[in-house]
Amino acid sequence: MIRFDNVTKLYKGETRAVNGVTLNIEKGEFVFLVGPSGSGKSTMLRLMTCEEKVTAGDIHVAGKDLSKLNSWRVPYLRRNIGSVFQDFKLLPNKTVYQNVAFALEVIGRPENVIRTQVPAILELVGLEDKHRRFPDELSGGEQQRVSIARAFVNRPLILLADEPTGNLDPDTSQELTSLLDRINRTGTTVVMATHDRTIVDRMRRRVIALRHGELVRDEQRGAYGSETDSPEALGVHPVDGASP
Amino acid sequence: MSRIRYFARETWTNIRRNLTLTFAAILTVAVGVMLVGMGLMAGYASGNALDRWEGGVQFEVFLNPQIDPSQIDALGIELQTHPEIDRIEFFSAEEAYALVSQQMADQPELLAQVSPEALPASYRVVPRSVEAELIESLAAQFRQRPGVMSVQTGREEVDAIRTWFTSFQGIVLLLSIVLSGASVMLIFNSIRVAMFARRREIEVMKLVGATNSFIRFPFMLEGMLHGLAGGIIGAIAAGALRGHVEGLFSRSDILAFFRSFVVTSNQFTTVVFVTVIAGVLVGMIGSAFAASRFLDV
Repeated sequence: MIRFDNVTKLYKGETRAVNGVTLNIEKGEFVFLVGPSGSGKSTMLRLMTCEEKVTAGDIHVAGKDLSKLNSWRVPYLRRNIGSVFQDFKLLPNKTVYQNVAFALEVIGRPENVIRTQVPAILELVGLEDKHRRFPDELSGGEQQRVSIARAFVNRPLILLADEPTGNLDPDTSQELTSLLDRINRTGTTVVMATHDRTIVDRMRRRVIALRHGELVRDEQRGAYGSETDSPEALGVHPVDGASP
Repeated sequence: MSRIRYFARETWTNIRRNLTLTFAAILTVAVGVMLVGMGLMAGYASGNALDRWEGGVQFEVFLNPQIDPSQIDALGIELQTHPEIDRIEFFSAEEAYALVSQQMADQPELLAQVSPEALPASYRVVPRSVEAELIESLAAQFRQRPGVMSVQTGREEVDAIRTWFTSFQGIVLLLSIVLSGASVMLIFNSIRVAMFARRREIEVMKLVGATNSFIRFPFMLEGMLHGLAGGIIGAIAAGALRGHVEGLFSRSDILAFFRSFVVTSNQFTTVVFVTVIAGVLVGMIGSAFAASRFLDV
């Protein structure tokens, strides 16, 4: 489903954000991408959605060779990839329902499809009774569930989550991760970049660890690990270097 | 259906959010395309007037005041029997004086200095053909005859008027190009502001895989609507201008010469069409420029 072949990404020709990464993620996998800030997790996700172009190497996503993908085909690739972010990226002037419906509307889905899909997905994320609320009337966890609903309403093959629990308390984070787990059980490939040691350790799923843009560990049933949060890896003092 | 509703809704929200810039853009387009219409109408009017004038053109042979009466008759016969000449009309010095005193009725002190003897008698000659070259060659033939003071054709006047109108059109064209450029920039700016106001929506649209053309369309539509509104206002202004100028010409005796400077209703339809299209084009160029510049994948 996702394949990186010796992928390198340089920013402004200097900073090596991703350095010679090779990996393969199969359909239906649940993968944690771990590593300290600046280790290249977000860049990896942005490379998968074509928001960034590789400097060297090849990426295949959903059967497409991204280096050979025409720019006008990029939107069609993104319809196969749902994205969730730490800051939710919800539209404040739209209700929960409208936020989710918007994702279908702008890719030209007919109205009858929107009318059936949106309530179904809101039920899946447990927000069916809050569909008329605006984002600022919801808790952080609820807002993130709206954002997951929006990412998943089009039933993408892949769901990418960039620190989705970064702004949430531990209990809510746990709820959200189990929601992503449920989505994963429908056959959707889930890649989640995270700092959250508790979640990674509890889930016991595949863990890919990055450090300075390089792949340092890839375990089928891994834990958060020590190399990713050691003071040396973080490059800062242990006191203020801890992740949430 | 849902698409049409989406585009209508988004475009309307954009316009409402951004009223002052929208008005500035629309008014600049209106003035710019009105000038386009004005230049076009000036061209039509001068064309119509000069056609009519050239069609009925005459030339006038002025005779020396000291000329012998027998010479006047001889010249008259020669003109009348000329194969290229249709008919002639004799204006005596007295008749010329009567005409002058009529024209100078409100300037008696100036008229007092004109004596009937000093004015030349003349033949007004209507040739068979209206071709300018033929008239010129006829005029040249009679210019050399004894007793002839001068021969005046309408050619110089026609040329002078044409030159005047051409430079007028040139100035109007230049102004309309400058204003159209300003309109493009204003529309460019108002679309850019609209995009900035909606940057979060645009970000989400890109995220979920909306195509570039889908994202751009409401903004292009908005720019086109600005242009269309400006074009329609400009066309109305051009129509008002046409009515005003034609009214002015037909009422005033001083401007009686301009009475034949009219724009036919067919030509005016073309003017309206061109101004509206010009407005829409300006809107399209401005918004397409903004959309392509600020909406990369």
